[in-house]
Amino acid sequence: MTMSLTTPPTAPPPSRAPRPPATVPATRRRSLRSSRLPLALLAPAVALVALVSVFPILFALNLSVHETRYTQVGDLVGLQHYLSVLGTAQGWAMIGRSMVYVVGSLVLALPLAVGLAHLLDRPARLRRVFRVLILMPWVISQTVAALLWRWLLNPDYGPLGLGSLGGQRVDVLADPVLAMVALVLVNVWLSYPLATILVLAALQGVPAELHEAAEVDGATAFRRFRSVTLPMIAPTVFVVAIMLTLLYFNMVTLVLTFTGGGPFSATQLVSLEAYQQSFSYFNLGLGAAYSVILFVFNVVFGLAYIRMLRGDRDV
Amino acid sequence: MSETTTARVVAPVARPAARRVPGRGRHKPAGPLAYVGLVAASAFAVLPLLWAVSTSLKSKGAVLSDGGWVPAAPTLQNYATVLFDSQVPRYLLNSIVVAGGSVALTIVLALLGAYATARFQFRGRDASLFLILMTSMIPGIAILVPLYFLAVRTGLYDTYLGMIVVYTAWQVPTVLWMLRGFLQSIPASLEEAGRIDGAGDLRIMVQLVLPLAKPGIAAASVVAFVAVWNDFLIASTMVSSDHKRLVSVGLYNYLSQYGIEWGQLTAAVVVTVVPMILLFVLMEKRIVSGLSAGATKG
Repeated sequence: MTMSLTTPPTAPPPSRAPRPPATVPATRRRSLRSSRLPLALLAPAVALVALVSVFPILFALNLSVHETRYTQVGDLVGLQHYLSVLGTAQGWAMIGRSMVYVVGSLVLALPLAVGLAHLLDRPARLRRVFRVLILMPWVISQTVAALLWRWLLNPDYGPLGLGSLGGQRVDVLADPVLAMVALVLVNVWLSYPLATILVLAALQGVPAELHEAAEVDGATAFRRFRSVTLPMIAPTVFVVAIMLTLLYFNMVTLVLTFTGGGPFSATQLVSLEAYQQSFSYFNLGLGAAYSVILFVFNVVFGLAYIRMLRGDRDV
Repeated sequence: MSETTTARVVAPVARPAARRVPGRGRHKPAGPLAYVGLVAASAFAVLPLLWAVSTSLKSKGAVLSDGGWVPAAPTLQNYATVLFDSQVPRYLLNSIVVAGGSVALTIVLALLGAYATARFQFRGRDASLFLILMTSMIPGIAILVPLYFLAVRTGLYDTYLGMIVVYTAWQVPTVLWMLRGFLQSIPASLEEAGRIDGAGDLRIMVQLVLPLAKPGIAAASVVAFVAVWNDFLIASTMVSSDHKRLVSVGLYNYLSQYGIEWGQLTAAVVVTVVPMILLFVLMEKRIVSGLSAGATKG
């Protein structure tokens, strides 16, 4: 037994003959070694994440309370940058637009994802073809989505007849309200596929027996979905909702490439402002303040997610 | 870490682990109404792509005069220009190298971490998992500027390695949580048996756990690959030379460089999207089933 304790982990056991029932040393060996081996396995991932995520966010926090001039970090200005966002009507208007964008996209994308996952889970002719077609926008990048939709919605050369819709020329991207509607629509187009895939995966974990039992009891299809399926996939749907919320709040590329924040700042979101302050106007301090505000939004939603996960495990 | 934070916080939870018995469908086959829904959703999904394919087959003049879905005089001229007279093939190659390298490194790091946290109790485990999960809430835009400075300082600016390191750090949390869920759904009894037989931890991991984890690894790899491939922010911040540019950034620059020439642009889009669609068509089944198995544990 002592011999097996000192054997290096990878070496084969010297001899198994003199050992008493093997389970005892096995568990003991495991608990002894477990203090070092798992840490060593986990360390590289934690170290990398700390270096590339944690250190930079601390750096950004520091930037956000300093005066900056291009890449030079100047005097400490405290919360001045934050006040210029949270203490002004424009700042709150921007936060409001972000909310409209997030909530608008969420109420469309989430039911769409659950509904489509349900449809794609049923046996149907050509099911694979439908799956591939419906989930295809998942592999499209935000840049490409913006280009494709701009071309599709083009009032002069697009195929939708927007040039003379009821005798009127509808230029979606030149109208403040329509531009936001279109932005939400394209965002939904981009983000519902991954959500659908995740819900679909959860649906496959719902045991068949439950459905059969409910069917025998005479429950209608809608009733079965509401009372059997939905409770089973609710945790996944909740996680997907959080995931989408974070994605939407932080989204820069699509907004930048599709509307660029226009027309007349109608689609100027907090995330886009954070990007433009840093990379277009080189106000690194103010840009950092905007992104820290985003971060706070994310943490609020993220904590809800963690609490939900924890609570779920106790059940 | 980028706005494509998508799957970072995935680790979907659904229980119990009961698998569907093959051949015993739980649902009645789809009715006519369901087909209407499926067709409508398919149209919504592929219409913008079809219009791009149509445009890409039109000549420069026809793009503005021929408004039909089926080109009156189809031409491959745009594709010839994109494939032989542009940097697009180079961008594609760069994306394959960087996304491939990032996914490989991500899987190695995440799998080790997932195995450690799924199979062992140890001090610091919950704190580490919490830290990793928390980093998924850091908006990509918040750390772009610091990462730029960090990359310049370490000499990793404008290198493939710099991008790979950042992308790996971005993807590790999601993939670790996904793989952890997947490993937890594999019964530990096999490993116990291996341990009783005297196999070391490393051998157990490589010879027993790895083969069983393959479906989860495959699904996680595709999810990570798609995220990296489609990223724009990191790729545009970490690289300045044209010959190291990734596809997403290259396409955008292509647009501003030549003005909006829709025929060429849509051809370039089709060329860059086709490899991803192929990957998706080949892997579609595995993605869903790989995620499904991992979804049984939170």
